[in-house]
Amino acid sequence: MPTYLARRLGQSLLTVFLTLTTVFLLVRLAPGDPAAAYAPPSASSADLARIRAEFGLDDPLFTQYGIFLRDLFTGNLGTSYSFHAPAFDVVMDRMPYTVTLAVAALAVTTLVAVPLGVWMARRADTKRELGANVMTIAGQSMPDFWTGVMLLTVFAVLFPVLPASGFTTWSGLVLPTLTVAVLQLALVSRLVRREMVSALTSPYVTVARSRGVSEHALTWRYALGNSAVPLVTALGTRFAALLNGVVVVEVVFGWPGVGSLVVRALETRDYPLIQATVLVTATLAILVQLLVDLAYPLLDPRVRLGKAA
Amino acid sequence: MTQRTTVGQDDQPLLDVTDLQIELVTAGGVVRAVDGVSFTVRHGETVTLIGESGSGKSTTAMGVLRLLPEGLAVLSGSVRIAGRDVLADPDAARAVRGRTVSLIPQDPMTALSPVHTVGRQLGDAIRLRHPELTRAQVRDKGVELLGRVRITKPETRWKAYPHQFSGGMLQRILIAIALAGEPDLLVADEPTSALDATVQAGVLDLLMELQERTGIGMLMITHDLGVARLVSDRIHVMKDGRFVESGPAEQIVARPAAPYTRDLLAAVPRLGAWDEDEPLVEGAAS
Repeated sequence: MPTYLARRLGQSLLTVFLTLTTVFLLVRLAPGDPAAAYAPPSASSADLARIRAEFGLDDPLFTQYGIFLRDLFTGNLGTSYSFHAPAFDVVMDRMPYTVTLAVAALAVTTLVAVPLGVWMARRADTKRELGANVMTIAGQSMPDFWTGVMLLTVFAVLFPVLPASGFTTWSGLVLPTLTVAVLQLALVSRLVRREMVSALTSPYVTVARSRGVSEHALTWRYALGNSAVPLVTALGTRFAALLNGVVVVEVVFGWPGVGSLVVRALETRDYPLIQATVLVTATLAILVQLLVDLAYPLLDPRVRLGKAA
Repeated sequence: MTQRTTVGQDDQPLLDVTDLQIELVTAGGVVRAVDGVSFTVRHGETVTLIGESGSGKSTTAMGVLRLLPEGLAVLSGSVRIAGRDVLADPDAARAVRGRTVSLIPQDPMTALSPVHTVGRQLGDAIRLRHPELTRAQVRDKGVELLGRVRITKPETRWKAYPHQFSGGMLQRILIAIALAGEPDLLVADEPTSALDATVQAGVLDLLMELQERTGIGMLMITHDLGVARLVSDRIHVMKDGRFVESGPAEQIVARPAAPYTRDLLAAVPRLGAWDEDEPLVEGAAS
C-alpha cells in the first residue's frame, strides 16, 4: 500500500507538472497581449513596451519558462496582472465558492440520480421508464445557460422567491445548484440504470431470489452493492469536473467562483492567474481521483483482499 | 403456512408438474423451450431430468421456481409446490422459495454476490426462516451448517468473501445456504457440471447423505447420465422440450427404450480398462 501510494503521488505530481507546462506554452502561443489588456486605452506603444518588459514578456520563451519553474519551486506563482495580488491568493479566495457549488450540485445529483436510476432499472424497457428517460435526456440536452436563465426567470423574476445572483445567503445556492444538477442527472441516472440492470440479471441475484431474499434487499443491497465501484468512479469524475468551475453557470448567476475567475483571467491575458488557476484545479481534480482509487478496496473485497484464501 | 409443512409424506407430492409449457421470447422470435411435461417429486425421492444443452431441462427447473425473467417467459400448465399452484399465484411462488423449496445453482462461481461475505448471504437465508434469532444465534447456526457441508474451520470462514473459496467449496456453501431454509424440496440445476471431476463426486456424496438424513425431495437437472444413475430414483429423458423416455433409474440405464437414451448412455465414460475395440459413438450428447 505505501508503495502504491508513493507511485500514485509521483504520477500525480508529474501530471500536474505536464499540465502546467502545456498551459504555460498555450497561453503564450495564443494571440493577445497582456500589456494591452493591462494598460489604459490611452497608453502609448512606449508604455506597452515598458509594461511588457516589467512583466518579463520580452524574454525568450525558454527564459520565461525557467523563471516560472524557479518561482514555482519556491511556491511563488507570480502576481496577477489585473488583481495586483499574488495569483495563488486570488484563486484561493474564489475556491470556497466553487467547492460549495460543486459539493451541493454533486449531492443533489446523487440524491436524485441514484433512486431514479434504480427506479428505471426495476422498470427497464417499460413505458414509464421511457417517460423518465425522455425527461432526463431533455434535462441533459438543455444548454446550461438556457436552463439557468429559465430558472432565473421563473424563480427570481416572475415569482421572486430566490435571489438572482451572487452568494450572500444560502438561498443563493439553490438556482446554480439546480442548473448544474439538471445537466448531470441524465448522465448519472443512466449509468446507475445500466449497472443495476446488469446486476439485477446476474446469477447471484437470481440465486438470492431463489432463497427468498426480498426484492427490496435484492435491489438495494445485492444489486446496488455490486454497482458501487462504477458509480463512485462516475461521481468522482463528475466532482472533479465541477471543481474546475462551471464557467457558464457562474457567469449567469454572478457566482464568484473559479469559473468566472478563469474567464476574467483569459480576457485580460493574466498569465500568472491562468497558471495559478490551472495548478489549483488540476491538483484538486487529481486529488479527487486519488480518493476514488483509494475507495475501491473499501467497496470491493476482491480489490482489498486479492485472490488467495 | 407458518408451521413447518410435512407434505409429501402422505399422498400429496412435494412437486407436482402437469403439462408445463414454457415459451421464451428471444431475439429470433418466440421459442417453445418446454412443450408439455408432467412429473412429480415426492419426499425422500430424487427425480432427474436429463438431456443435452437446449433440451429445456434447466428452463423447466427455473420455470418451476418462477425464476425466469418476467415478460420474457410465458408459462402455462400447472406447477404445485406443496400443494400451492405457483404458476397461478406469483405470491405463492415467493412464499415457497427459501422455505419449502431451495435452488442449488449451476455455476457456484457466479452464484454469490462478490461484495458480500459468505456469512452475510448465509445469514440472510437463515434469518428468513428464523426471524427471531439474534445475530450471534444466526452465526452459530450458519457455522453449524457450514460444518455440515464439510467446510473445514467454518467459524474462520464466516467473514470470508466468495472469491476466497474454490468452486467446490462454494458449491458446498451454496448447499448450506439452500439448506438454511429447511426446505422439503431441493432443485439442483446441474450442481456439479461447473466443477472438476474429483470435486463432483464429493458434492454428489454430500447431497445424497443429506437426503438420507433429512428425507428431502430432490429435482436433479443434469446432462450427465453417470450423475443421474448415481443419484436418481426416477429419470425423465428430455429432448427438444419433451420427455422422450421416463422410468425408474435402473430401467433407463439397463434397458433404454428410446434411441436418444441409448446415445446418451453410449456417451458416458466408463471406469475400468480402456475398451479400445469399441468404436466411438458419433452424435452422442455431451
